[in-house]
Formats: sequence, C-alpha cells, structure tokens
Amino acid sequence: MKGKDLINIGIFSAIYFVIVFIVAMLGFVPIMLPMLAVLVPIIGGVPFMLFLTRVKKFGMIWIMSIIMGLLMILTGMSWPPLAVSAVTGLIAELVFRAGKYRSAAMAVLTNAVFSLWVAANYLPLFFAADKYWESRKDYGQDYIDSVNKLMPKWMCPTLFAAAFVCGIIGGLLGRKLMKKHFEKAGIA
Amino acid sequence: MTGFFSADLNNRGLVLDPRTKLAVMLSLVVFTLGGTGSHIQAVRYAVIALSIVPFALHATAKRYTKTVVLLCLFILVKSAETWLVPRLSGASLSITSVLCMLFVRLMPSLSMGSYMLCSTTVSEFLAAMHRMHIPQQITIPLSVMFRFFPTVTKEFSSINTAMKMRDIRLGGKNAAGLVEYRLVPLMVCSVNIGSELSAAALTRGLGAKVKRTNICKIGFHLPDAVVLVGIVALFTLWILGMNGVVK
Repeated sequence: MKGKDLINIGIFSAIYFVIVFIVAMLGFVPIMLPMLAVLVPIIGGVPFMLFLTRVKKFGMIWIMSIIMGLLMILTGMSWPPLAVSAVTGLIAELVFRAGKYRSAAMAVLTNAVFSLWVAANYLPLFFAADKYWESRKDYGQDYIDSVNKLMPKWMCPTLFAAAFVCGIIGGLLGRKLMKKHFEKAGIA
Repeated sequence: MTGFFSADLNNRGLVLDPRTKLAVMLSLVVFTLGGTGSHIQAVRYAVIALSIVPFALHATAKRYTKTVVLLCLFILVKSAETWLVPRLSGASLSITSVLCMLFVRLMPSLSMGSYMLCSTTVSEFLAAMHRMHIPQQITIPLSVMFRFFPTVTKEFSSINTAMKMRDIRLGGKNAAGLVEYRLVPLMVCSVNIGSELSAAALTRGLGAKVKRTNICKIGFHLPDAVVLVGIVALFTLWILGMNGVVK
C-alpha cells in the first residue's frame, strides 16, 4: 500500500462518514432509528462502489472498516461497532480479493458484507438494554418506550439481515450510477 | 481561526499536547455524550465542570465571541433542563426534554471536536500518533479524512443550494432524483480534489519508503498535567461511585 492508496481511503471514508452522520441525525426520531441499517448501506453504497474501483491492494477495505469503528467510538457508540467492523471488514476484503479486485458481482457482495458494521451500532440496545438506557435517562420515558417497542429481541438478527440485503441493493445502485455517470466522466 | 487542521500558530494561546486533547475528547464522549455514571450525583457535577473545559479552551485561543455565546447557551439550556423540565408534562415535556438533552449532550463534544481540529496541525497530529505507535496505515487516512470533512460539507451545501434551485428536493417536482443529483456531483468533485491532494502529499514525501521525521516539538507540560489530573480524578470518582463509596 502506498501513500496514494492511504489518501484514497481517507477521502472515501470522509464521504461515507458524512452520509452516515446525516442519516444518524434522523435517528433521534424513534421510528427512524432502525432505518439507519437500511439507508446507510443503500446511500453509502454509491461512494463505496466508487471506492472499490480504486482498491487494488490488500487491506484498503479493512482499514476503512476499522476507521468507521474508531469514528463510532469518537461519536459515543462505545466499542461493539469497532469489534464487529474489524471482523466484517476483513471478510469484505477477502470477498473482494476472491474476485481478484475486479469482479463486479463480488464488489456488490463486498458492499453487503462491509455494511454489516452499521447494524452493530444497535448491539447495546439488545444485550445491555438496562445499562444503555440508564445512561440515557434524559431522552425521556416516551422515547425509551417507543424505541423498546420498535426493538424487540428478534430485531437484532433482522437488522443484520436488513443491512446485508440493503448492502446488495446499494451495491447495485452504485453500479448503475457508475455506469451512468462516472465511467462517462472517466473517474471510475 | 483559519480552519480545520490549519491552526493559526501565532494566535492559539494555550498549547496542549495533541494526546491531551484526545484524552479530553474521549472523556467528553464517555461522560457527556455517552452519559456514563449519570446516576452518581458527584459524577454529574464533575461532568458539568468537564463540559465547560472546551469553552475555556476556545477562550484561550482568543475566540471570545464563540466562547461567550456557546457558554451562555450551555448555561441556559442546562438550567432549563435542571429546573424547567421536571415541571412540564405531556407533549411539551417530551419535546423540550429531547431538545435540551440533545443540546447538553452534543454541544460540549462538538465544540471540543472543533477546538481539537482547529488548534492542531496535521504535522502535530501525525507526530502525536507516531509517538503512540499507531501505524501509518491508520494515521494517514485519518488525517486526510479530518482535513477533508470541511471540504466535503462545503461542497455538499453548495450542491444542495444548486439542486434546490432546480426544485430537486423533498416535495419538489423532481424528488426522484433527490439522492442521485446530490451524490454524483459530490463524488465527482471529491475525487478530483482528492487526486490533487494526493499529488500535493506525494511532493511532501508521504509515499516514500524512508522513515519520516517531524520538526514538531510535542510533549507534556504543566497545562497538560493539570488537565490530565482532572480527567483521572473524574474517572476515579466514577469508579468510586460504581463501588458505592461516593453517591
């Protein structure tokens, strides 16, 4: 990996994180909270697919994934996202490598696997709910009740599945936009 | 103030080590944003003190208007949360409490974040990270990313304005293109800016195989010690509170 690759990781992480941040702001409305696992993989899929056209060496996807986890710590999501993103990032890397860093189908699958880290943000809600709410009492009982109603235990695997499926949708959307715009403009 | 990661070196007042700033940032995230230990009264008071630290730091960097405005807002909202919210009920309660909560939680961390980025140069950041033995593969993307955030948001707001003029917005007549018409131009210009940035970085030897040196003098001094002792005290208070020694 050379300096140029590392700079590319930084640039695409910035674009990706701005999208995450905008979508996450919607999460303060309870009904939108689970939508994070839907919207981030779809919208984030567009810059991510463009990023993949620049990935030619082992480690770039993994590093971006770890950076997302680190940013989640800095924005107060605690450690579970980092633990998950370090693993899913490596798997995504291996998937894309299996496609020799070229295969379009593998790129779509890579976006799906990469997107799993988004669902990890919800883990504390399911496995440490009491502790999670104890430190968030000031959200108000109404908010807590409506989130608890939206998030029964079976939602946990559902959210991971949703992130994966939406990752595929986002990847296909990214492919489509790339064909339509970026290849013409000569940047894909 | 000149912008993110391009600190005004003559005018930044108190110089803290980048690692100290990172420690302040992390404890703000844990205690104010994350709300850790908010059931212990002593910690709650200490956290209010911690929340004021970023405003004080802004003041040392001679950004007085910002300090005063943010501090007044913080005091106002915090007191509203403390005295007004318990007296409300129903819809007004949930709206006011969520607004207060958002503000009190986010503001200190956000202003610390902006202070951290505005008072640290890229070189200092890299030097500090190097001292912490964090590999280049993580530090270079991170520094590029933080340097790049303001660019992305600026470009995005300009594109947003342009698209609003073409009525491509929620409820407008071209709502279908809402995302596509914003993301595509944003990415095209980000990629172009990015390739210029990498060219600039390569001329400074970022891609070279040799070990990089750095002329920044970073290190812990008296102000760092004061801040760090305060942070350690806060964590001690929290641990004592968890074991029921203080309430």
